[in-house]
Amino acid sequence: MAQSALVNRHMPVVWRVAFRMLGDRQEAEDVTQETFLRAWKMLPDWEARAKFSTWACTVAINLCRDRMKKKAPVLMETLPEREAADLPPDQALHQKQAGTRIQALIDGLPERQKEALTLCAFEGLGNKDAAAAMQVSVEALESLLSRARRTLRQALSEGQQE
Amino acid sequence: MSRMDTTDERVLELIEAYGASSMSWPEDEREAAEAHLAAHPARFEAALAAARALDSLFDADMAPEPGPLLAERILASAPRPASQRHSGLAARIGRVLTPNGRRWPAGAALASLGMGLFAGYTASASSLPPAYETEAENVVYGALGYDQFDTYLEEEMLDE
Repeated sequence: MAQSALVNRHMPVVWRVAFRMLGDRQEAEDVTQETFLRAWKMLPDWEARAKFSTWACTVAINLCRDRMKKKAPVLMETLPEREAADLPPDQALHQKQAGTRIQALIDGLPERQKEALTLCAFEGLGNKDAAAAMQVSVEALESLLSRARRTLRQALSEGQQE
Repeated sequence: MSRMDTTDERVLELIEAYGASSMSWPEDEREAAEAHLAAHPARFEAALAAARALDSLFDADMAPEPGPLLAERILASAPRPASQRHSGLAARIGRVLTPNGRRWPAGAALASLGMGLFAGYTASASSLPPAYETEAENVVYGALGYDQFDTYLEEEMLDE
């Protein structure tokens, strides 16, 4: 039961972080499994010096970075379909198009900026946890976030002018 | 510890990095930044509008979800709970009693004794606290940041 609670609570976040970084469902699953394998080995010696969520994101991010070093850049696969059930069809379509558009722009960001944005804007980590997971200072995290958002705003603005 | 004073420049930096919603801002700066924003709203209108436009696109992003079987595969690799270790113990006892298969009636008395002992052991084990209170599982809840299972459940219910 304890293991189920741990997996149910943290696995989806770990998987989404890996998926956004790697752009491949299967690879994201491999990274998530490896992260939890390490967790099972590490837990008996766990010390309450870090949150599990931060530790798991750190491991997953490092595993993703290792994988990205070993392969050439790939295009993000199409995001899985998930219907916006409560929206009228025209709004659902608009939301889907907006989501696809922003995802494509985020994929074009430098890796560290993408990591920062994924952890803070999409997974809701606080600045200290996100910085710890990325193994950077809070100031560096803020700088990455600012640059990411600036780049995205600029790209969106250029897109509107075309 | 929270900062009680801030500047225009810092509030603009927060909006630039974390977006228009103050809930996304660092906790220790939020209160001061919100107060500063409320006192001088006109100074931040343009920055907030630009940040909101981007935030709304983030909100439109459909969060992908992992496959339905991933949790099962991960749990299959988890350390076995105490009850399964007892089953392993039973199997080991069985192998000790009948290393080459059944040996009736020579091993029957010993086997009965063994089964009696095991039944007594498991009966007493069933009267122990639930499995989540085992030492190993408490470690997991500790890793989750809770003192014990009850604290975890309380927070989960508050989240819902």
